[in-house]
Amino acid sequence: MPASRFTQTGNYRVRYQQDQTIFATYAEQLSLVVLLLALLLLPLLISKTLLRDVNMIMIYAVAVIGLNVTTGYTGLINIGQAAFMAVGAYATALAATKLNLPFFLAIPLGGLAGAVVGTFVGLPSLRLKYLYLAVATLAFQIIFEWTVGHSPLLAQGGAIILPPVEVFGIKATFLNHNKVWYYIILPVLVVMGLLWRNILRSKHGRSFIAVRDNDRAAAAMGINPGVTKLTAFLVGSFFAGIAGGLFAYFQKAVVIEDYGLHTSVQLLAMAIVGGLGSVPGSFLGPLFIVALDRGMGGLSNFMSERQIFPPGVDAATALRPLAFGLSIMLFLIYEPRGLANWWRLSRMYFKKWPYKF
Amino acid sequence: MDLLPQLLIAGVVIGSIYALAALGFVLIYKSSRVINFAHGQIIATGAFIAFALTQKGVNFWLAGLIAMMATFFLGMLIERVFLRKMVGEPIISVIMVTIGLSSVIEGLIHLTPFGAGNFGFQTPAVLSGDGLNLLGTQLSRTQIAGVLAALGLLAGFTYFFNKSTLGITMRAVADDQMAAMSVGTSVERVFALAWAAAGLTAAAAGVILGLMSGLTLGGLAGIGLKVFPVVILGGLDSVAGAIVGGILIGILENLAAGYLDGLVPGGGTREVFPFIILIAVLLLRPYGLFGTKEIERV
Repeated sequence: MPASRFTQTGNYRVRYQQDQTIFATYAEQLSLVVLLLALLLLPLLISKTLLRDVNMIMIYAVAVIGLNVTTGYTGLINIGQAAFMAVGAYATALAATKLNLPFFLAIPLGGLAGAVVGTFVGLPSLRLKYLYLAVATLAFQIIFEWTVGHSPLLAQGGAIILPPVEVFGIKATFLNHNKVWYYIILPVLVVMGLLWRNILRSKHGRSFIAVRDNDRAAAAMGINPGVTKLTAFLVGSFFAGIAGGLFAYFQKAVVIEDYGLHTSVQLLAMAIVGGLGSVPGSFLGPLFIVALDRGMGGLSNFMSERQIFPPGVDAATALRPLAFGLSIMLFLIYEPRGLANWWRLSRMYFKKWPYKF
Repeated sequence: MDLLPQLLIAGVVIGSIYALAALGFVLIYKSSRVINFAHGQIIATGAFIAFALTQKGVNFWLAGLIAMMATFFLGMLIERVFLRKMVGEPIISVIMVTIGLSSVIEGLIHLTPFGAGNFGFQTPAVLSGDGLNLLGTQLSRTQIAGVLAALGLLAGFTYFFNKSTLGITMRAVADDQMAAMSVGTSVERVFALAWAAAGLTAAAAGVILGLMSGLTLGGLAGIGLKVFPVVILGGLDSVAGAIVGGILIGILENLAAGYLDGLVPGGGTREVFPFIILIAVLLLRPYGLFGTKEIERV
């Protein structure tokens, strides 16, 4: 153990128990507490539209954590995460409207529904690898979208309106909707983040990584790759289901367009831009992609006011995919480890300052 | 009027376009093991280049040829600029690069006036006359020409792979990169050529589809997704599989539309049926009808 548990300049973990701890120093714990306190005060400081985006980022972060479990940590390429979100969203919506369950029961129910469907969809992963699995999840996404669009029970993909919620006597109305949901989503995100961090340091988390790196070697060490892959799908789609339930309530309605192939691709992009298989990346990725999208929206407004493009060209529909695609490609080519790597480098810099080496 | 022959013929017509689109997809996968999610967008690019040229008064046939040349070089460019850097990277990265590429191309098309709306080629005079009546099904001349052009291109490419030195070189690289390198083949050149050939066939598929059923960005780019059931059914690395798979998927989706639409509220089974086949094939025979069987336990 180092002399000080407040600052550390290197890895002083010598025993297995130490290696299992989440926080190496008190400074890390303290910075997290400060960050959480700052986040609690955030809604008082920023505008309503910005708060809306922050809520979206946090919901996406929950789904991206799930995607990181399947794709980042277990190496199972999943192009259907938005469909798992949709499963959660529809289960939540049905529970809230048909069974009149309150939101704190309906959303976990959505998560469970997502987990059940996700495990079922994960079954082909016992037989398929790499691209074939990617194509299978893609097919699931398309089949699911189509099925919802043709189910009278689910309003054929049209809007299912969710009732407004009431927390501690405060009713969410048109005026305070974003604020109320901020204080619901933030604790959920924190709980889910801690849950994930704890799964990672458990037997299951390490077997995810072992299966990703080499499933035959993992099998030789006594890990059952099939069960591990299904567990990864179960956990990943549980997170997606929770995110879907939150998203349904937050948008006040479930519409299938919100959970299309485009959203799946966006979630993958968030995971990759953030850094596949990294904890901070799951938060930085959604932040970057949503900020980029809003930035492009602003830029295209500016450009169409100046009439830079010929009439008939909608700047927003052109610039958004352009910037989105370019940022994915540039990250993959120049910084495959994503924003998480920048985060790590900047932390190292301050840790070692003023000594560069 | 019998329903069955009608559905079969319509299936072959659309299937030959799927086959042409899938051919390019398979070429890329076969040579460089890259799965190309941007194929639909390249198809759309080719079709819109041809359309823009005809708008400027260029003859339809010439415009089609120029569009094919343009996407030929576009394919080469994409390979050189983006995919060459991804050699040896994990599959997820390569997939995401092509997804990013599809997004970029879509954005670029939206910058032109073709992003939104529905367009149609001016049908050339040769193709506007009476069609042919086949087993009680009325086929227009554009449809016949489309099928013939698609089948002609497919035959040409099959000949190219089997007889020409370059085609044999490409097959050699697909078979074993190391061995091909050791006898002096330039693997890079083969990758570039595969992308170029994929671009060329994509433009051809786009122009033919545009001639038969109009040009919309969504419709043309959507072929890029329909390619997946085709190549999985035919076998990801088989040119013959792409052709057979394309026509089979075309027929099957038309049969589904004909016989299953009435049973489902809202109909539209043709959009989803190929993907159900895809899942079934993946579970029963992941290497498809003609693909190389990779023996591996998971």
